[in-house]
Amino acid sequence: MTAITAAEPTAAPGPEPPLAEARRGYGADLWRAVARNRKALAGLILLMFFLVLAVFPGQIAPHDPQATDFAPGLGASSQHWFGTTAYGQDVLSQLIWGTRQSIIIAFGVGGLATALAVLVGVSAAYLGGLADGVLSLVTDVLLVIPIFPLIIVIAAYEKNSGLFTLVIVLGALGWSYGARQLRSQTLSLRTRDFLESARVRGERKLYVIVFEILPTMTSLIVATFLGGALYAVLAAAGLQFIGLGDPNSQSWGTMLYWAENNEALGANMVLWAIMPGICVAGLGAAFALLNYAFDEISNPALRMRRLDRPIDGPRTDPVPLHAPAAPDRILEVRGLTVAYASDDGPVIAVDDVDFDVGRGEFLGIVGESGCGKSTLLYAIARLLGPPFAGQIMAGQIVFQGRDMVALSERQLRHVRWREFSVVMQSAMNALNPVLSIRAQMRDACRAHSNLTPKEIEERSRDVLRLVSIDPVHLDSYPHQLSGGMRQRAMIAMALLFTPDLIIMDEPTSALDVVAQRSLMMQIKELQERLRFAVVFVTHDMSLVSHFSDRVLVMYAAQVAEFGRTRQIFEHPRHPYTQALLDAFPSIRGPKVHLAGIPGSPPDLARPPAGCRFAPRCPHVMPRCTSAVPPLFDVDRDLVRCVLYESGEAPNDALATASQGAV
Amino acid sequence: MRFVLRRLAFFVVTLWAAVTLNFLIPRLMPGNAALAMMSRYKGRIQPQAMHAIEIAFGINTHQSLVHAYFTYLGNIVRGHFGISLTFFPDAVSHQVLQALPWTLGLVGATTILAFLLGTFIGLVSAWRRGGFLDGALPPIFVITSAFPYFWLALLAIWLFSIKLGWLPESGGYDVQTTVAWSWAFVGDVVRHSILPAATILITSIGGWILTMRNNTISVLAEDYVRMARAKGLSPWRIMWTYAGRNAILPNLAGFAMSLGFVVSGAILVEFVFNYPGVGWMFLQSVENQDYALMQALFLLLTVAVLLAILVADGATAVLDPRTRDRS
Repeated sequence: MTAITAAEPTAAPGPEPPLAEARRGYGADLWRAVARNRKALAGLILLMFFLVLAVFPGQIAPHDPQATDFAPGLGASSQHWFGTTAYGQDVLSQLIWGTRQSIIIAFGVGGLATALAVLVGVSAAYLGGLADGVLSLVTDVLLVIPIFPLIIVIAAYEKNSGLFTLVIVLGALGWSYGARQLRSQTLSLRTRDFLESARVRGERKLYVIVFEILPTMTSLIVATFLGGALYAVLAAAGLQFIGLGDPNSQSWGTMLYWAENNEALGANMVLWAIMPGICVAGLGAAFALLNYAFDEISNPALRMRRLDRPIDGPRTDPVPLHAPAAPDRILEVRGLTVAYASDDGPVIAVDDVDFDVGRGEFLGIVGESGCGKSTLLYAIARLLGPPFAGQIMAGQIVFQGRDMVALSERQLRHVRWREFSVVMQSAMNALNPVLSIRAQMRDACRAHSNLTPKEIEERSRDVLRLVSIDPVHLDSYPHQLSGGMRQRAMIAMALLFTPDLIIMDEPTSALDVVAQRSLMMQIKELQERLRFAVVFVTHDMSLVSHFSDRVLVMYAAQVAEFGRTRQIFEHPRHPYTQALLDAFPSIRGPKVHLAGIPGSPPDLARPPAGCRFAPRCPHVMPRCTSAVPPLFDVDRDLVRCVLYESGEAPNDALATASQGAV
Repeated sequence: MRFVLRRLAFFVVTLWAAVTLNFLIPRLMPGNAALAMMSRYKGRIQPQAMHAIEIAFGINTHQSLVHAYFTYLGNIVRGHFGISLTFFPDAVSHQVLQALPWTLGLVGATTILAFLLGTFIGLVSAWRRGGFLDGALPPIFVITSAFPYFWLALLAIWLFSIKLGWLPESGGYDVQTTVAWSWAFVGDVVRHSILPAATILITSIGGWILTMRNNTISVLAEDYVRMARAKGLSPWRIMWTYAGRNAILPNLAGFAMSLGFVVSGAILVEFVFNYPGVGWMFLQSVENQDYALMQALFLLLTVAVLLAILVADGATAVLDPRTRDRS
């Protein structure tokens, strides 16, 4: 497999899919994440505190918890921190001894419920068929039947049930929520490559479940355990409070039961009634905090990371433009730098990029996945920044004479869609799934015009006809359209106000080759008819060769080469451009061996010194790694490679260099 | 249509499971609870009540277990839940109907309010990511969600009734006021409901806020929200119809799952406040070993949860065209 056609897992250091983190969730990474999360740390410390009390109550408690040696109903004092009960027992000592039972219940029920949840959830998903049907039904029924009343019913028949019974009943009834989640997680894993390969290797099911599936679900299993423990602590305290536990047991719930029976609140023994509740809430909070923190750790979108000095948004001192905008240029990007916040500091995803787009021009931006193309696109559209990762750190985006970087969100709204619109990679994701096409068109029209409903209707029909969709589909919802139609509908939407620029992020790559081609033809035709400019991102070189006027080749966040399409395809200069072209088949040309580019793009958090392509370059020279080469002007095109320092095509230099590299 | 049928089948199966649990649990318990209870009550209650217990538990009727089961099912279907011991000789169904309005008014209204309010706050705090709401709320509500309902109820009583004397500490209304549709009575009922309602609201709202916040954060990273921004829509429009409407869908599904939790909390709150609703009656029946009443109430709670799920299903169908197509 060539590096170019590889899937997009490392697209940008933005939010990663939860699974990616979950998969490497076991081991050191998990611990590092826990230690860095304040909620997790607080929960852990709280839990440790109660664990110590549970293990060493005899050493810690100042008095015998059951001894009725003291005056009843004493207030707080240095002798009795939390006073005494109506029976003359020390409240603090009772609390300390009561911890043990709550901890046993929490861990016992959590463990039992988790084991059952894993057993039922994973086997339901993995076995499928009838087994799945039956197990899922049982899970769902148990999920809906109110568990706590059911436990009360059981406890009513079996009064004064002991600790063991309590753990068994709570555990046996509390697994359904976890089982349901584990089942759907397993289902989503079933078709993954690593499981397919295990199946092909002929591994036994049990082996696959234990060694391939379970480790990937560490976070979810931990969450199930923590949720079960929290629920157990609360439920057990409730049961004991209403007198359905053993009234002689040492537990917080039983303390509350006796306090309530002696009307402790009215009789000025407030601490007797309040402290056990605080303990229950404290232990519960420990589990709840850990649970929440795990959610954050396994779902990176929930974590907020900020950069120090983003410059997008309104500023009091607008940066003066380097050069006055040329009248025939619709868009000029100068020194644009975009960074992502990561746990290891900022990652520069777009590094000092300059380019321009003429009126009605079709500009293609190409490069491998993860080289910053899409980030560049969204930066131009000012669609970065929270909630999306990535912020503009420097540079200007001069669009129709104004610097987009300095516009406020409110000012931007007036420019959006009327003057430039955006077409995204997948219409399935970019169209709102719960609104009809008509409603989504209407939203855009209402935001930017005073069109009457009738005019909006007509305009919507017009643009649909432009992309050859029957206007009856205005009433359709996105999921009711085919992939090609959805994509066309999105392009139609982008044409509502016939903008001057349309920014397209791989609008055809979700389609099959035939649909891709016809859509491209249509885009090109519309562009020539309506004269809007297009900035078009793709990793498919062949698309660009036929449709774009100029091509910008990006590598590792930087411009590698920028020039006329014809020139670049006939005489690619940068070794990276050459490699890109070699990796794609020519449609009509002779059959040649396709060469992939060895290696993969560098990690943008740690880019190599000097030329970023040097580690993969066949012509690499010692000087390549000493400094980042500037863009050299070669016959009006720009190339970032020291081979072109003299300003002309160095045929000899290339030959010598490649000999030297071997 | 298939979707609706499947859903209906699921409801029937769940109800059947609840009824069967009712039937099986007393029979599966070690040391026959029914017999023990009968010997305890012997001579203390009227023969009819004794007979009601015998029928309910299939004692002294030489029926087989299977036969007893079907007799039991038949009784339930016809709404015959037996005679209450606690309120002898009143029928269980009559007692349940008396308690129901109190619980619907308190727990029902409070749960809906908590859901709507929590969902709204969750949406806004996610929308203003990093703002004051978003910074302060999650830690607070993670902790309050771990509070035992009944303990918070105790605290509320201590502070607002015993210490400050602002609000009544127990009951659904003052026994001295006449029960009638008068302003005085309604006002009294409202006064009595404030503390229990506040307790349920405070402990249950956190869950809705946190899940809605997290859902919204995930939805905000979706392409269609980015697209809505690109279209230059007003923030208000994006928040409600693009982010909110999509983020609430999983919350509606979660509503079903969390409801059991809310119901159990509400039972304890009613208990602490001596509120004359279903939960209080349920615990009364447990204390008095009034098994017929207890079984009927357990069934009622299950039905209530199922009805709430039905409403959530309906709301989902209204908000999400994809579910409509499946049905």
